[in-house]
Amino acid sequence: MDLFDTATVLTRVMTSGVVMSIEKSDRELPGLERLLTKKTGRSKAVLLNSRSAAVHAALAGQGIGHGDTVHRPGLAEKDLAFLSWLGISVAQDSPEGTVPAFDHFSLDPANAADLGELAAAATAPALVVDLTGIGFGPAAAVLTDDPKVWARAERLKIFGAYDLRTMWTQQEEAADLVPGVQFNYRLSPLVAACIRMALGQAVRPLTTTGAEK
Amino acid sequence: MITDFPDRPLPLPDEADLAAELAAFGGGQMIPKELRRTIFPVITKEDVFNLMLAQRSTPEKVVADFAEAYRAYVGANYALPTASGTSSLHLALVGAGVQPGDEVIVPAFTFIATAQAVVAAHAIPVFVDIDPHTYCMDPEAAAAAITDRTRAIMPVHVHGLPADVTALRALADSRGIAFVEDASHAHSAKVAGQVAGSFGDAAGQSLMADKNFPLGGEGGIAFFKEEASYERAVEYVRRHGIDYEMSWVAAAFGASQLKRLPYYDEVRARNAALLGEALNETGLFRAPYVPEGHVHAYNMYRITLRPEEAGLEDLPVWAVKEAVHELLVAEGVPAREWQNTPIPCHLPFQHRLGFGNGYPFTLNPGAVRDHKPEDFPVTLGMLDSTLVLCRELRSPVEYERALRYADAFRKVARRPDAIRKLVEDRDYVRPYEKAARLG
Repeated sequence: MDLFDTATVLTRVMTSGVVMSIEKSDRELPGLERLLTKKTGRSKAVLLNSRSAAVHAALAGQGIGHGDTVHRPGLAEKDLAFLSWLGISVAQDSPEGTVPAFDHFSLDPANAADLGELAAAATAPALVVDLTGIGFGPAAAVLTDDPKVWARAERLKIFGAYDLRTMWTQQEEAADLVPGVQFNYRLSPLVAACIRMALGQAVRPLTTTGAEK
Repeated sequence: MITDFPDRPLPLPDEADLAAELAAFGGGQMIPKELRRTIFPVITKEDVFNLMLAQRSTPEKVVADFAEAYRAYVGANYALPTASGTSSLHLALVGAGVQPGDEVIVPAFTFIATAQAVVAAHAIPVFVDIDPHTYCMDPEAAAAAITDRTRAIMPVHVHGLPADVTALRALADSRGIAFVEDASHAHSAKVAGQVAGSFGDAAGQSLMADKNFPLGGEGGIAFFKEEASYERAVEYVRRHGIDYEMSWVAAAFGASQLKRLPYYDEVRARNAALLGEALNETGLFRAPYVPEGHVHAYNMYRITLRPEEAGLEDLPVWAVKEAVHELLVAEGVPAREWQNTPIPCHLPFQHRLGFGNGYPFTLNPGAVRDHKPEDFPVTLGMLDSTLVLCRELRSPVEYERALRYADAFRKVARRPDAIRKLVEDRDYVRPYEKAARLG
């Protein structure tokens, strides 16, 4: 994405006056969620403010927490350190019949167009997509087809509230949806808007000037 | 069309509007629906331009320049920009030396993030009651809660009024524990000219876009007195693989906003003073208490009800509050409760699952209490008897809008009969009997 496009997006969102994730009228976060679910073929997306937040949400979404063990070969040292901080043990094997706790990949301008293919290759119930490399600061998403994973992950990032728009009550029909520890892992709508434009452009074939059409 | 303006300017105050029937009973609204728009944050053309310029810098420099500019403004020694207020509090605690299983004393009245940041640090929040005048942590209650496993006290400068930092600092020093500020509401708040965030061994502060000092969406910052504390926090996130960095987009927006923060602070102070004077004249309402030498930032403006001044002392104060709330909202002043239950009675601190299987609460079972709302009588008394203005006064609203707020309170205060009628007609319940609300 070139500087002019970023300038256009930032100006558009700032002109709307809505730069806060918990604004009822925010359209940028739902816009990025829609784009990610469409491109990855998953039904639900949770936007988060960093990769480690997304790893946390992917695990908490499945009810995996302190004292649990996951099968997840091939994690980098940084991810292993983070899981250790969460109190989750990592078995490097993948015995018959187990699925990895989460899949993950990182997008950057060079591979942003491959999002669909990368997602298609993932099999875990939660997919962590690190969006930091797109260039607008730390950002990530969890993609899933499991409504419960989505519901728990959303609540982890906003202090147990249902969602960004009805934030402020924790009353639940299902008590197991209320997270114990809770964070603010919310993504800024300004950042989401820029990422959305970058991902949207990444799949388009390169166009040159209008005169050559 | 996208516009920052309401449909029309608000009409100037008119004595006839004050004498009219209450809006809840069919009269005119003090602030008509189509004229209620209040903008926050205020985003100007220089904010847009500064974001354009930031694209031409490196992300690291944009964030570092912002953090340095704001550190200097606050007068703190070291600053660590983060992704949110919660993460800043987490790192403030870590920097102050909080270890897994330690106890950290926090007020029962705050936003839940204060206590969750303690859990994030793998420590145990120990809740104490508040001062009946400032609504901030009661130093005596804090002193009574200290054990040999207490590592820190973390008062909150609630709504933007600094806590009793002199007493709390002395308490921490005398007991050899750390003093950590939750300055999330208290941008530019001061005691004797010193800015909140610079009093403690460490401090955390939210910079999300509904704070007096807003960043571009989400952000936070931790401050430290000693270099060793700063280094401890930096090393902690690296060692544990935690991504708490601030986005350059949020930082660039904040760097631009910082230049106008003193201007907006002055407008907020002007409007708060104007409204406070009007409230204190009504009898029924009382403006927020501000101790001598303290500067309140007014991120929120909590108004106390005094039913006895309006001949309503025979009614429960919480029912009077509910009725007044209903009447004010009908007039076009969206007052709020902003919380209805002490934090230790929220589900996460009743269930205490923590990170899973009860961690970190299992590290220190002796610090854990099954609290009931009645354990915090001062907090309950405040929740029963107060209402809050949030964005309506945080926004640097027009002079005539502030005047109309004042008139809405005057109009309601003139009608104890209407308050009494609502209390009789409705089935109001005490605040904490409703589902716990985060805000």
